[in-house]
Amino acid sequence: MIAALKTFTDRLLGRGEATITVPSFDGALKPNQILEKAEIVGQFDAPEDLATDGKTLYIADGMALLRLDGTATAELRRFDRPITALCCLPDGGIAVALDGREVQVFASPSAPSPTLTFSDSTMMAINALTPGPGQTLIATDGSTSRPYRQWVHDLMDRGRTGRVLVLDLESRSIRTLASGLGYAFGVCASGSDLFVSESWRHRVIALGADGSQRTVLEHLPVYPSRLSPAASGGFWLTAFTARTQLVEFVLRENAYRRRMMTEIDPEYWIAPKLKSGQSFLEPMQGAHIKTMGVVKPWAPPRSYGLVIRLDAEGVPLYAVHSRVDGVNHGVVAAVEMDGSLFAIAKGPGRLLRMRLAGIEQELRA
Amino acid sequence: MSDDIILALRKATKLYAGVPAIENVDFELRRGEIHALVGENGAGKSTLTKVMAGVVALTSGKMEVDGVEATPRTPLEARHLGIAMVFQENSLVPTMTVAQNLFLGQEKFYNRLRGIYIAAQQFLQSLNFDVTPTATVGMLGAAKKQMVEIARAVLHEAKVIIFDEPTATLTPEEKKYFFDLVRDLKRRGVSIVFISHALEEALVLADRITVLRDGKHVVTDDAAKFDRARIVQAMVGRDLSNTLYGLRKNSVRPAGARVLTVQNLKMAPMVKNNSLSVFAGQITGVFGLVGAGRTETFKVVAGVLKRDFFHGGEVILHGKPVRYRVPAPAVRAGIAYVTEDRKVEGFFETMSVARNIYLGLLAKLPGGRFFLSSREADQVGKSWVERLKVRATGNDIKVVELSGGNQQKVVIAKSLVQEPDLIIFDEPTRGVDVGAIVEIHELIQRLADEGKAVVMISSYLPEIMALSDRILVSRQGKVVEEFSALDATEEKIMYAAVH
Repeated sequence: MIAALKTFTDRLLGRGEATITVPSFDGALKPNQILEKAEIVGQFDAPEDLATDGKTLYIADGMALLRLDGTATAELRRFDRPITALCCLPDGGIAVALDGREVQVFASPSAPSPTLTFSDSTMMAINALTPGPGQTLIATDGSTSRPYRQWVHDLMDRGRTGRVLVLDLESRSIRTLASGLGYAFGVCASGSDLFVSESWRHRVIALGADGSQRTVLEHLPVYPSRLSPAASGGFWLTAFTARTQLVEFVLRENAYRRRMMTEIDPEYWIAPKLKSGQSFLEPMQGAHIKTMGVVKPWAPPRSYGLVIRLDAEGVPLYAVHSRVDGVNHGVVAAVEMDGSLFAIAKGPGRLLRMRLAGIEQELRA
Repeated sequence: MSDDIILALRKATKLYAGVPAIENVDFELRRGEIHALVGENGAGKSTLTKVMAGVVALTSGKMEVDGVEATPRTPLEARHLGIAMVFQENSLVPTMTVAQNLFLGQEKFYNRLRGIYIAAQQFLQSLNFDVTPTATVGMLGAAKKQMVEIARAVLHEAKVIIFDEPTATLTPEEKKYFFDLVRDLKRRGVSIVFISHALEEALVLADRITVLRDGKHVVTDDAAKFDRARIVQAMVGRDLSNTLYGLRKNSVRPAGARVLTVQNLKMAPMVKNNSLSVFAGQITGVFGLVGAGRTETFKVVAGVLKRDFFHGGEVILHGKPVRYRVPAPAVRAGIAYVTEDRKVEGFFETMSVARNIYLGLLAKLPGGRFFLSSREADQVGKSWVERLKVRATGNDIKVVELSGGNQQKVVIAKSLVQEPDLIIFDEPTRGVDVGAIVEIHELIQRLADEGKAVVMISSYLPEIMALSDRILVSRQGKVVEEFSALDATEEKIMYAAVH
């Protein structure tokens, strides 16, 4: 009864759970145009994830596994389902998640067949892989109710079924390390802990070996996605879009949301997108408008591009942005290799490269 | 005596309980000149001007007006001599209208209110003052109150007008307007004495500058022969080359953990959808013109003001949403707010230094204390007086008896005794002398070095640029721009604050 009253008053007064606010991009997240101005290495149909063994960059593009040779790409393998996650293993092997439902481990990127296959009926949206302690592979399963391609449906369902799975390469068993996460979408080892990004809760948590959770970074103004290690310590955290008050509002309006999901084409939902500006039918938040034909870069974004550099403790050091008026939106993966940061902007289907020295120089300027 | 001299003080000495506030001071004011009086707090500037305005009488020495010895014993007598003073804390009656204040003390037996309003309107227009004569003074801003004070002085046909810190509460635009006004008064033949801690103002506006130190006259010279360094040297009698102003930063402190997040905060009509973050181990400077909503935002954070009742936004401290309706829980949560208006909100002026600081500690304790310990109060007070170098003759001295800089240190000590994580300094050096400014700046830097999250709200750009690691610019109720101290310039900051 008291809880119901509290819900009612919160909704009336705009407090508690009904507070419709978003954090600002400030401090280390101060906007710039570095990601927008990044070098375009290649254009792909459906780029999804990146992996590197320190020498070679591997790209998951739809059903194809590609290798970057200079500025050209070579197809290593083609699967029967789209790749949803990719990672290089310390022993030279490579692991891929297919359609979010199966993980295959290969002895080498060019090996003809997988040495191991993990498949479980509960696997629904495996979206990130990383080597774990010992002979294990860590996977994040965004949702157990919606497939990977329906991530926006999971957000609108207010999904809280994300999991972190430990795939044991020796015993071939699967263990759930954490569950009930708000779309787990990215994992990376940090000492004895695992850093996991939770997109719908806009935070990064640290998971202990026993499954204990600790919040590392929260109240992000974005939907965080994959994590990868930085060469000089710390991490790269990507974010596929930014939060807006309009979406936060819709997420609290259950009846409206249900009706929108039933009656409106998902393309035009009031929901975050990986790219925008494609149609005049797209819903807009007030102020998300053009002035004299130019989109205001500070307008509430429908899509956005961001990579955040975190230190070893998860404190943001700086970020590279593609703002509302930019194109390189929907960043879902970033890895560091040879003094450069490679990132996938899934919105326009681009592989981008930024030299780290150039980033630091630009931030200093 | 030269005809050129309208007012002079010869060997002026004023003792308070045997202690000289001014000692053997010689001062001359020329006809139609603007004369700046500068010095540290406690240098004797206010006493000197109060002697001229008839507020206090000299212990020895003499005062001459137009070459004739004069000893005004009250402000009214001084006014009859043509001397008017515009005080720092204005002397207007807040519940009366502008016109009523202008003619206060000059009422006739039968007053026709409409006639007063018309006369006031004509007079204000002749001075080109945009003030409505029917407005209640309490509803006016600081600049407009200042205008009414000045208008009253001019109305009384003052030949000498003394301004005590006239620009302390004015915005940059209002300052420019004030400077034009003072120059206009000069053209009308009025002689001006003005006290200012902003040395640039003295250099820009004054014809001559007199520097006082420890109640003694140090130097009087043409303003053109002074620069900032010479004034400071004369004021403090020591080298203050370590002062931060004017130095370009080549490094900033890295941001630590996010301590405070303000999200879409609303407090009509001052704060409009304001969002910002404050990080540990950094000084976050907040710049903006008066009315930009800076103070109100942080007063909401500290529980001094309340945000809007409906959809007022969120304040997140250490990752947890908080909503303080009064300051006490904010203090207990580790937030300290050092007010901009120390005389009204900062301390109990008739209580001792030690007891004031002890009150700060009591505010931190949940439920307070039933019995207060005088010994503990003395110990706490003594410890902080030493740490912050408060120049007081004893712990039991009343705060009102301290100079502005030392009063400010007491206010700061009262907050720091609470061992806060987040310290909000609102105009920390307003009305504070140069020596104390350096000490307060060093203290602020030290707090950031110790890992505290420090917010410094200031309208003084050199201070913002010298201290801040990151600079937030506020305009019309929200933060509109953020600069790193490395790439900020005065032009960029001011542009963001205005446009």
